[in-house]
Amino acid sequence: MWYPIGFTVAANPSSATVRVNEDGTAVLLTGTVETGQGSLTVLAQIAAEALGIATDDVHVVSADTDTTPMDTGAIASRTTYVTGNAVALAAEAARDILFDTAAQMLGVKASQLEAKDRKIHVKGFPQHAVAIGDVAQRSQFVLGQPSIGSASWNPPTVAMDPETGQGKPFSTYVYATQIAEVDVDDETGEVDLLRITAAHDCGTAINPMLVEGQVEGGISMGVGMALQEEMLFRDDGTHVNPNLTNYIMPTSLDMPEIDVDIVQGFDPTGPFGAKGVGEPTAVPTAAAIMNAIHDAVGIRITSLPATAEKILMAIKASREQEQKRLSA
Amino acid sequence: MSDEEKVLEREKVHLDTALRDPEIDLRLPAVVPREPYPIETLVPEARQQTRAVGQRATRQDGRLHGLGQTKYIDDMSFPGMLYARIKRAGIASARIKSIDTSAAEAIPGVMAVLTGDEIPVNSFGPSLQDQPVLCAEQVFHAGDGVAAVAAITEQIAEEAIDKIVVEYEPLPAIFDPVEAMNEDAHKVHAPGSNIYATKAIRKGDVDKGFAESDHIFEDRFTTQMIEHVSLEPHAAIADWDANGRVTIWATIGRITLARADIARTLSMPMSRIRIIGTVVGGNFGGKNEITQEPALALLSKKAGRPVKGVYTRGEEFTSTTTRHPIVMDYKTGVSNEGKILARKVRLVLDGGAYCSWSETTLGKACILSPGPYNIDNVVAEAFVVYTNKTMTGAMRGFGAPQVCFAYESQMDDIATKLGMNPLDIRLLNAFHEGSSSPTGQVLHSVVVKESLETASARFRWQEALT
Repeated sequence: MWYPIGFTVAANPSSATVRVNEDGTAVLLTGTVETGQGSLTVLAQIAAEALGIATDDVHVVSADTDTTPMDTGAIASRTTYVTGNAVALAAEAARDILFDTAAQMLGVKASQLEAKDRKIHVKGFPQHAVAIGDVAQRSQFVLGQPSIGSASWNPPTVAMDPETGQGKPFSTYVYATQIAEVDVDDETGEVDLLRITAAHDCGTAINPMLVEGQVEGGISMGVGMALQEEMLFRDDGTHVNPNLTNYIMPTSLDMPEIDVDIVQGFDPTGPFGAKGVGEPTAVPTAAAIMNAIHDAVGIRITSLPATAEKILMAIKASREQEQKRLSA
Repeated sequence: MSDEEKVLEREKVHLDTALRDPEIDLRLPAVVPREPYPIETLVPEARQQTRAVGQRATRQDGRLHGLGQTKYIDDMSFPGMLYARIKRAGIASARIKSIDTSAAEAIPGVMAVLTGDEIPVNSFGPSLQDQPVLCAEQVFHAGDGVAAVAAITEQIAEEAIDKIVVEYEPLPAIFDPVEAMNEDAHKVHAPGSNIYATKAIRKGDVDKGFAESDHIFEDRFTTQMIEHVSLEPHAAIADWDANGRVTIWATIGRITLARADIARTLSMPMSRIRIIGTVVGGNFGGKNEITQEPALALLSKKAGRPVKGVYTRGEEFTSTTTRHPIVMDYKTGVSNEGKILARKVRLVLDGGAYCSWSETTLGKACILSPGPYNIDNVVAEAFVVYTNKTMTGAMRGFGAPQVCFAYESQMDDIATKLGMNPLDIRLLNAFHEGSSSPTGQVLHSVVVKESLETASARFRWQEALT
């Protein structure tokens, strides 16, 4: 499957502000919202990488229209890519102020410096270094230049032609494959999901553990879409199953064994090569499961969810057709 | 000491020592000994590494979640806070003749009642502003809100909304999106057509492509309406200060858009609105726009107290956005070798009662519908249609899972018919670096084949086939 990152053509900018404290730790201000995917951790990792400090040294403040800079939102799998780019640029801007100070302290040009291991050192001669905390102190209190950087980023797109749809609607896409193995009971139509193997591309995996988390979570939503979930309406438009009892969803007992592989990739337009992974994980699962059912019992389900009733009826229908062909 | 006395002495509980002795079985209410917070925060090593990218760093909120300390909106409360509930229509399509809230207002404990006509600008929506905050004239689906109540307890609010009497004049309704496309079908948002957005992609010449194909496959695929069912329901708290500034804590994923929508619906400048996004217990697309926030803000203003509204699980199904059911018609022409020469797609999306994120879903579904394959001749047409059902909006994938189900199902059917390995037919057609997408975009960082090969190797695909 393939899936785009960001909004379709429309501008979806993100802004971020990074402040380096006098002891070399940092604060990141971002307007994005943490919805359980761990985006604040990933953004802290990006800021830390740019500043040469550790993830734990970065404190993230988020989601307050009074204090944090504007962010289009945690939507369309765009946080790592778009907000991440803004964070990386903001961190670099803050770091450049520190580089100016460090250049004076080390007696070199700012372009010769790099930040790593909580120190700012000269490229190619790391012994000539100064601790980031010391640089930040001097920058703020001696030179009167506190280290703070802000940046915005928006994915570059080209509008689509209204007649032919030709254009560049997204800046980047991610790709993935999922393979499912099922056991179908041909007397009841019930499907037992044995195993799903997923290979997902996310550019550079900023945090592989969180990527795996997204894959497993996405697969659970895909399983629900494939086999169980459906909102039902009566003829008058009122809801039949607006509750968890009758809206069937996967539980831990329905989940198969999942193998996750992160496909090697690097996207030069993303922060440190990263793209995104939030939504793509839920995309191919239903297709994989339907294809596995097709391989198992030779029937093609064309309407989701593939409930036991539908599968059983399809099996019976295909057997009747077999009988007719054999006896004709 | 006699035996009885010994037993009594043995069984006697000395409170001063008992609480410190874990061996003694206390027949007292459970007392959890207070543990001090560790002074040294245990930090897993990955968070201490200075090459931060690529680390399996644990989340900063992981510990808080595990200890149950995360404050979600339902954990927050303020002095004098009221609880809000919204009355749901229960009827799919009707004109509102009258709303009588007097019985509700008379209940002791009810501090404010709100109806749609009191809202300064009663319409919102990310692309088309067709959704009312509270319906004032017409109801478009069974979960539509018609009035809101703020009371000192949730139970009183629940009782109050039952006492609100709404007189409806039923109107015809339409539920099937394909039927709704006909000119003579009931118009949900009359007088405009039920088809409220379309998108088309045309590349190459499909007729020529089909003429050159050795086999043509035509299939229809349909998917269902799904709800996000995030663990945390939609929740918000609204509070005003004496300067006319409103602060809203909300479970919304897009706080900047939320602020703009509140400014519009309440006719206020943005500088007087503060939206705070709390840690959200799952979004998946359902919390990307305002739902009850303007109503809560106005209830709070009327009552002069903070107001909290939390959707019930039932309301999550009836009154929040869902995934678009799509009817997909795929016509694909292939050569004997399995190369796809032409593909024609027609998508009809069930757009529910309001637009919400349908235009975005339409666009994405249309662009992604041919699949990650090099196809020279493509036509993809997509329509999104109003029906009198729960509004469909953003949900993890924006149309991609539906079209992927269609094109990947058809791919396996093609492989079976041609006697090809399903892996090989995909490798033959898949995008590579520099491929041109259906919209003519030159793709970079393409790893479709690598992902196919990685998954197949891990799954031991070739062995599984034999």
